[in-house]
Amino acid sequence: MPPLPIRPTTRAARWQPFVNRYVGYGATALLLLGSTSAHAVPAFARQTGSSCADCHAGAYGPALTPYGMKFKLNGYTDTDGNGLKIPVAAQLIGTHNVPARGQVSNDLTEADIYLAGRLTDHFGGFVKVETDNTGNDKFNTKLSNMDLRFVLKDLNVGEKDAVLGVSVNNSPGFEDPIADLPDASILGPPSTSGTLLNLSSTEALADRVIGTTVYGLYDSNWYGELGTYTSLPTSTQSDLGYSLSGDPGRLSDTGYARFAYMKDMKTQFFSGGVVALTTKRRRPRSAQADDITDLGYDATYQYLGDRDNIIQLSYSNIYERRRYGFTPPSPEFPGLLALPRGVVHDQTFTLTYTFKQSYGLVFAHLVSTGTHDAVRYVPYGDPNTTSNLITLFWTPFGKDDSFTTIANLKLAATWFRFSRFNGSSTNVFGVGPGALVTDAKDLNAFSFTASIAF
Amino acid sequence: MTSGTTVFFVRCAVAASLFLIGTMTSLSAATGEPDAGAKVFKSECAECHTVRQGRNKKGPSLFGIVGRPSASLPDYNYSDALRQRHWTWTEDQLRTYISQPAKKADPGTKMKYDGLDDPKQVDDLISYLSTLH
Repeated sequence: MPPLPIRPTTRAARWQPFVNRYVGYGATALLLLGSTSAHAVPAFARQTGSSCADCHAGAYGPALTPYGMKFKLNGYTDTDGNGLKIPVAAQLIGTHNVPARGQVSNDLTEADIYLAGRLTDHFGGFVKVETDNTGNDKFNTKLSNMDLRFVLKDLNVGEKDAVLGVSVNNSPGFEDPIADLPDASILGPPSTSGTLLNLSSTEALADRVIGTTVYGLYDSNWYGELGTYTSLPTSTQSDLGYSLSGDPGRLSDTGYARFAYMKDMKTQFFSGGVVALTTKRRRPRSAQADDITDLGYDATYQYLGDRDNIIQLSYSNIYERRRYGFTPPSPEFPGLLALPRGVVHDQTFTLTYTFKQSYGLVFAHLVSTGTHDAVRYVPYGDPNTTSNLITLFWTPFGKDDSFTTIANLKLAATWFRFSRFNGSSTNVFGVGPGALVTDAKDLNAFSFTASIAF
Repeated sequence: MTSGTTVFFVRCAVAASLFLIGTMTSLSAATGEPDAGAKVFKSECAECHTVRQGRNKKGPSLFGIVGRPSASLPDYNYSDALRQRHWTWTEDQLRTYISQPAKKADPGTKMKYDGLDDPKQVDDLISYLSTLH
């Protein structure tokens, strides 16, 4: 189920029942997004001769090992040299979902086709076409992540190795090699607001924009990237499988920058980086422009050792400053206007332990906060959301010594819990007496997921 | 001393030297611990190499590497540089190669490796590789 619109405007207050209903659905959708989505591209394994576990600690994406990062930086073009491999892979995901409130379901939730791999030594790409079960066995197909690259490898700059590349992609942050930013890790704080760089935000740009970035890696450690994005026309979004309700609006003067230092010590890895995005956004497209700037930093650490016990830690902190082009009045309180400025803050902390590249535990703490604004954020003027994801998984294949090295099965049990939603732990939708009250914990869900990639 | 006797003694000396070198090399490898070397292999080599016979990754299979002529696997596309070397991967040759950046040990190589600077780990690794037959 795709995220549904939750527009924090004054009209939302007038549409309170409508919004409340869809906030609940949206939260469930975001929950599913965070708990079941994954990238697994056996086409890459076939191309390189590598095992799934070489690029992913748990032998299943999306989190990358340092080796996986290098493969991504090299534009998905590395190969074992044994001829052209068909750059196609597939993934199926079935989910047994047990929400704290609502119906238990057993569904084939996602079917994906990946066109992924190298065309030449300089051109490679990753394209995911995703079909989602939108309920009642109705399916929607959309163009999910796309990252097409031109790369110059094995350069020598000042006696040091260097890589230069160009990426054409549709999600700022997805192309990042370290893969701890929300669009790359497929994990960000679910929120009714949230930053542009957070794919779990209703403000997200993910998949609905197109942009070009130029990147470089110097001396294997220093990474830099500059680029620009523009939103896809609404007609194109529709053609690509997206409902217009999630249109990120018209973007202009958009710039993206990313700098990071990373150090691969074979048995350990660490990185530290900064990210920035600035844009003028008109949403709706006829509205006055909001001036939005995201500034973030992130840090990761991996203990890899001899790969029997792997610990991966990551933390990202993205601050978004907004100067709104419009300050709508409150429909309930005459004279009260929305604030002309605000900030939003998304933080994601993730800890993953993997045993023998097959058994894993993931813990994520997700926090989204924002400036109190009684008009923009109903019902309490507060967009703050706190949630956790806890996953236990088993991936029997995808290792050098397993039955198959280039395909895998992932069985995962996930508990997604909310301790705060819309700034409250109780009656999060602010319904009146006599109505069904929803507490934050009523948005919790347990799911059991089976994914296969081949 | 006749020339035939001289040749005989020279041959004996060469044979003795080779025996000593071989013995010392074996002793050197014997100082490594294969089990520890297997762990070194996992952290240093396994992303690009397997120890399975007939399976290459970005790098060639290291099954039977000790004693193998360089660039000799028929199903692996070696760099032109390595094809020209005509090395044999003796333990000493492996030690020399592994202990420094690959592009320094073999200019023009496709291999990207910064080198292993811990002699104990090198011995362990070679000791492990020696078991792969």
